[in-house]
Amino acid sequence: MKGNFDYTGKLVKFMLRRERIIAAIWIVVIVIFTVALAPGLEAMFPDGEARENISLMYDNPIMVSMMGPIYEIDGEYTTGGIYAGMMLLWVMISVAVMNIFIVVRHTRADEERWRAEVIRSLPVGRLANINAAMLTALVINAILAITTGLGLAVAGVESIDFAGSMLYGAVLGASGLAFAAISAIFCQLSASTSGAFGLSFLALGGSYMLRAAGDVGNEVLSLISPLGLAQRTKVYVENDLLPLFALLIITIALSALAYKLNSMRDLGQGFIPARMGRREAKKSLLSPFGLSLRLLKNAIIVWVISMLLLGASYGSIIGEIDRFVGDSPEYLTLVGLSPEILELLSEQDKADMIVDGFGSFVTTMMTLIALVPLLMFAMKPKSEEVDGRAEGILSRSVSRPKYLAGYVIITFTMSLIMQLCTALGLYGAAAANEVNPFVLEKLLAANFVYLPALWLIIGLAVLIVGVFPKAGGVVWGYYGFICFMALIGNIPDLLPAWVANLSPFKFIPEIRVTSFDLFPAAENSFAPLIVMTVIAITLTVIGFIGYRKRDLMTH
Amino acid sequence: MFMLEIENLTKKFGKFTALNNVNLQVKEGEVFGYVGPNGAGKTTTIRVLLGILQATSGTAKVFGMDAWKDAVEIHKRIAYVPGDVNLWPNLTGGEVIDLFVSLRQKSDKEKRERLIKKFELDPTKKCRTYSKGNRQKVALIAAFASDADLYILDEPTSGLDPLMGEFFVEEVLNLKNNGKSVILSSHILSEVERLCDRVGVIMRGNVIKTGTLDELKQSAATADGKLPDSMEELFMRYYHSVGSDVLDAPSEEV
Repeated sequence: MKGNFDYTGKLVKFMLRRERIIAAIWIVVIVIFTVALAPGLEAMFPDGEARENISLMYDNPIMVSMMGPIYEIDGEYTTGGIYAGMMLLWVMISVAVMNIFIVVRHTRADEERWRAEVIRSLPVGRLANINAAMLTALVINAILAITTGLGLAVAGVESIDFAGSMLYGAVLGASGLAFAAISAIFCQLSASTSGAFGLSFLALGGSYMLRAAGDVGNEVLSLISPLGLAQRTKVYVENDLLPLFALLIITIALSALAYKLNSMRDLGQGFIPARMGRREAKKSLLSPFGLSLRLLKNAIIVWVISMLLLGASYGSIIGEIDRFVGDSPEYLTLVGLSPEILELLSEQDKADMIVDGFGSFVTTMMTLIALVPLLMFAMKPKSEEVDGRAEGILSRSVSRPKYLAGYVIITFTMSLIMQLCTALGLYGAAAANEVNPFVLEKLLAANFVYLPALWLIIGLAVLIVGVFPKAGGVVWGYYGFICFMALIGNIPDLLPAWVANLSPFKFIPEIRVTSFDLFPAAENSFAPLIVMTVIAITLTVIGFIGYRKRDLMTH
Repeated sequence: MFMLEIENLTKKFGKFTALNNVNLQVKEGEVFGYVGPNGAGKTTTIRVLLGILQATSGTAKVFGMDAWKDAVEIHKRIAYVPGDVNLWPNLTGGEVIDLFVSLRQKSDKEKRERLIKKFELDPTKKCRTYSKGNRQKVALIAAFASDADLYILDEPTSGLDPLMGEFFVEEVLNLKNNGKSVILSSHILSEVERLCDRVGVIMRGNVIKTGTLDELKQSAATADGKLPDSMEELFMRYYHSVGSDVLDAPSEEV
């Protein structure tokens, strides 16, 4: 067919216009986050010895599986190497999320809402839309790559040099584009926006897990994962360009496949056939609560399985703990134990202490992940309202509190279930090993102790939905802040105390997860938990009152 | 007795006045037509009646109860079809019909099946695959399958084909014969002409005329006494007669 790509240029301009604000926010946030941390890291590890200590702390299967390897030059660790090792993976994941949103928004979502049809009726090539979406992603990733690279280059850290910084930016952009291409394929397979999102995020999660398995085991697995491949550029250490080129070639190949699939199908259709459904509703659907449960059901199932699997994957690594207990003195010295005390400890005690340290780290990370679905569930009534579907329910004999309560009850219940899944996943996989260092009650307590903080954040979401429904971004902004604080907030003097105190995670007492009890745990106070719970209840109640009193948003 | 009664209703969105001192009544057993150009305030009026929007001033009562405060109680006795129906993409049409009906009362299976057949809807398909017309059928079937006292229909046939439009008229006449009350907002004037006992005309937030069709035609007579031939012509005459001063004009009962 002739003119398959006609008018791509105009479409790119149009898409960039639609993206300008969101893309600008993504880029600014990522660049600030990336550039601001480099000098802080340099200050934290000023000399070779400090750098070696932190690297040893990270050189164990659990951390490597979580963060990826930290590379060295002839046994010397540099700030640049540590920085790339600690940061690159997480920033790549956020860039991937940005790309998935860009591609799905401009391809499958536009098709589902029949906007693409109007475009297609113009003298526009058949592949122009997908081509324009990919080029839009290319432009945004290129801007992101260059600004991040330049920003890092001028951050003033010796080992974070110009060449490495530009490579760092390029790797970010390339891995982002790889996920743009992957999600473009899923947009062809699935006929629905939610399906395309689901499959794309599954692929992202899969890439993360694949490289986790590869980084501690068979390296080939890491090379299959775009994230793992990108890390093999060894930015700031070897600046290896080969993986970058490989990534770009794979991206082009995946894009070509997406274009091919796109050209083979009708507009609005997908390759995964739409299934017929029930002729009549099940009894369980026929109530406001039943409806909200049904709408969230698939997400609930996927997230429960994901949390169990993620927990299990960390739990399974516990078996490897013995392998590096031999190296543990360095680590234990690092956490402040004198050699005299060390001599009193058995190998078992040492292993337990290490497990305790990582247990608390894993629990924090998993709780942060659990917050994503919880906030989506809590904010669901808002999107139902904006899309005009809440009106369909509220024009029947359903009161507003009753309608909102469905989602709120599910969200609060899920907070409990998510924490339970993490604990059970960790414990279950660890139990498969010869020695299971976890004590189940303690592991459960260490996860449940986060609940008041989760409730507080959920309460904020209910408040926003009830009173300020247009300010949904506040909730996600606050979530981003909490992630930021949890990941780097422990760097002393980085931020004033009052800012740090805005994160509820800061007040969560640390609970040991093993039977080790020779030293008292850090001074733990449970009073903040009560305060947080009270705040959570207050926010929720205000949200309900506000939801009763305001006009519904209509279109 | 009035099934619904609106008195001096004003609704503002910020500085924009969507409804200005609106007065309307619908009597028991009456089919009331509500016509006016796009953006005139028809849907806003209906949303206030449903307690989805709160009146800035004035009162809106349904069955003698306050539309905002007693919304849930009122909704037990009404059926509503919105003009722009957005449904859950991964539920089937059949499931949505059952859900909508059950949120008011027990479902009448026989009625449901009869209507699904009549409107030729495939209830096993997911809503994301439905066209606008099919989504509208889902809402219509759910409304006609419910046993309500007042039916609020907001441009319910804008996506239906002529045959389905005919079936729609049949069903509304059926309601009328059973003594039900209906408020029908529509751009399909032939439909309004055939169904409605009285008509209200709203323009730019003001109800400028209410009355029977004959009364409306009389009121729109030209200087030489010529009556409008059709609803369309009547409508055009109103349209052209309304100047920019409409917001100050009082509502007029003819």
